[in-house]
Amino acid sequence: MNKIMLIILTCSVSFSASAMDAGEFSFNQFGTAGLSHLGGESDGQSFGIRGQTNDKWRGDQLSRYGAQLKYGITEEISVTGLLLTKPESDEWEVEAELLYLSWQASDRLMLRGGRLRAPLYKYSETLDVGITYPWLRLPDEVYGQIQMSNFEGADLVYTVPLEFGSFNVQLAGGQAVDRNLFMADDLFDIDYKEYRSAVLSLDTNSYGSLRASYNRAEMKLNTPLAVLDGNKGQFGSISYQYDNGTWFTSTEAVRFTAEGNVMSDSDAFYVMGGRRFGKFAAHLTFAQLDAENAGIQASTTYALNYNIRPNIILKSEYKRVDTRGGFAGIFALKADELMANGMFAMSGGTMGSAPRNFDGDIVSIGIEFAM
Amino acid sequence: MKKLLRGILLLSTGLFSLTGQVQAEVAVIISPSSDKTLSQAEIANIFLGKDKSLQGIDLKDWNQTKLTFYKEITSKDEAQLKSYWSSLVFTGKGQPLKEFSSDSEIVQQVAAGNNVIGYVDAQAVTDAVKVLLTLQ
Repeated sequence: MNKIMLIILTCSVSFSASAMDAGEFSFNQFGTAGLSHLGGESDGQSFGIRGQTNDKWRGDQLSRYGAQLKYGITEEISVTGLLLTKPESDEWEVEAELLYLSWQASDRLMLRGGRLRAPLYKYSETLDVGITYPWLRLPDEVYGQIQMSNFEGADLVYTVPLEFGSFNVQLAGGQAVDRNLFMADDLFDIDYKEYRSAVLSLDTNSYGSLRASYNRAEMKLNTPLAVLDGNKGQFGSISYQYDNGTWFTSTEAVRFTAEGNVMSDSDAFYVMGGRRFGKFAAHLTFAQLDAENAGIQASTTYALNYNIRPNIILKSEYKRVDTRGGFAGIFALKADELMANGMFAMSGGTMGSAPRNFDGDIVSIGIEFAM
Repeated sequence: MKKLLRGILLLSTGLFSLTGQVQAEVAVIISPSSDKTLSQAEIANIFLGKDKSLQGIDLKDWNQTKLTFYKEITSKDEAQLKSYWSSLVFTGKGQPLKEFSSDSEIVQQVAAGNNVIGYVDAQAVTDAVKVLLTLQ
């Protein structure tokens, strides 16, 4: 542990805090070392966007490391690459999460092209950089809705400084092909074609930040369980965040709709409030996912964070999750249980088994840093 | 007894110097040739990377001057600013300001550039720069 801390502190020397000039580069990194445990459910039951939280203390749901290199070709044009490594199916996989060319066309306008983050949610663009949000695990009910994290294409970011903050517009377009979709406790390939996104945000210096995004894509999926052939999916998010240095809050509501009956339309939200006590921060979150004609998942999360250093945070969380309406929610429904539920529905209850509710107590602890 | 007195003396000296630091004034400075007048909110926009029309420059170490400046201008402390800049750096929407080690270097940079704005301990201000705002 001491060695890890020493490496982190040594690396912090390399943190470049300079504005970018031609020929200059900056190197930044972030990481999370975290453990999560699901209690109160049946043996082997798993939970989470990739089903990596179960009744063993596992580090693969939360742990990751990212390194970003940015090089200034000219004062206005730069290239940025972000390598991200995290455990997938018992192996650490390394991926170029981001790789793009950026042109600061004016004080207000930036244009980018390449592999970019999809700006779906409030925290989408820093999804893996845990130090930028208060939780160790983002509210699963909301952030488990869309599994796409990046796309190949272009975007435009326009920032207008205001007397009390700034107003920002972001427009993006492209596609994301051969991405992973976690479903029925397994991974499948999915394509998101014709991806389009529009984001408006108002950041005030004293009254918080308001953000709204609209996203759409045509989805292609071919599995024994489900087929999507260009079905249009739409996703909207509206969020508000406030932080006066002592009290802080963040809330986000999202809606997902998809053509056809393979995926349920859904609404989800979270409401979080917290307070800092010196280097400690305590917060409470209520989150809910309501999938139409499927059921509801709701959770309450109690969290306590401690700033070891300004850029290193120890986080701990206890999350109580319940589903109702015979709904698996973000619990990973295994293929055999899915089949049994299907048989039950088709046979009018004479065969298979009725869909059941799930519940669990999730405890997570971890250290996050960025430099 | 002598040790005890020395201890009290050292402690009181420390307290006085601490008190002195807390009461230090911070001056936000710009080149005398600039005709800009900026509100506190506009200065915040520059030092939070929201307004790139002026180049803000920063002190490298988190001394009392830097703590006072950011607390008064942005209501954020070091940890909150690390989180804020991490968001900008990893979204590619901002790059932290250029940093300099001392007040005299900041004064020198501000005096040399027409669009450069910085902050220093008020006692470090010279005739080469113009004071936009003084913070306590």
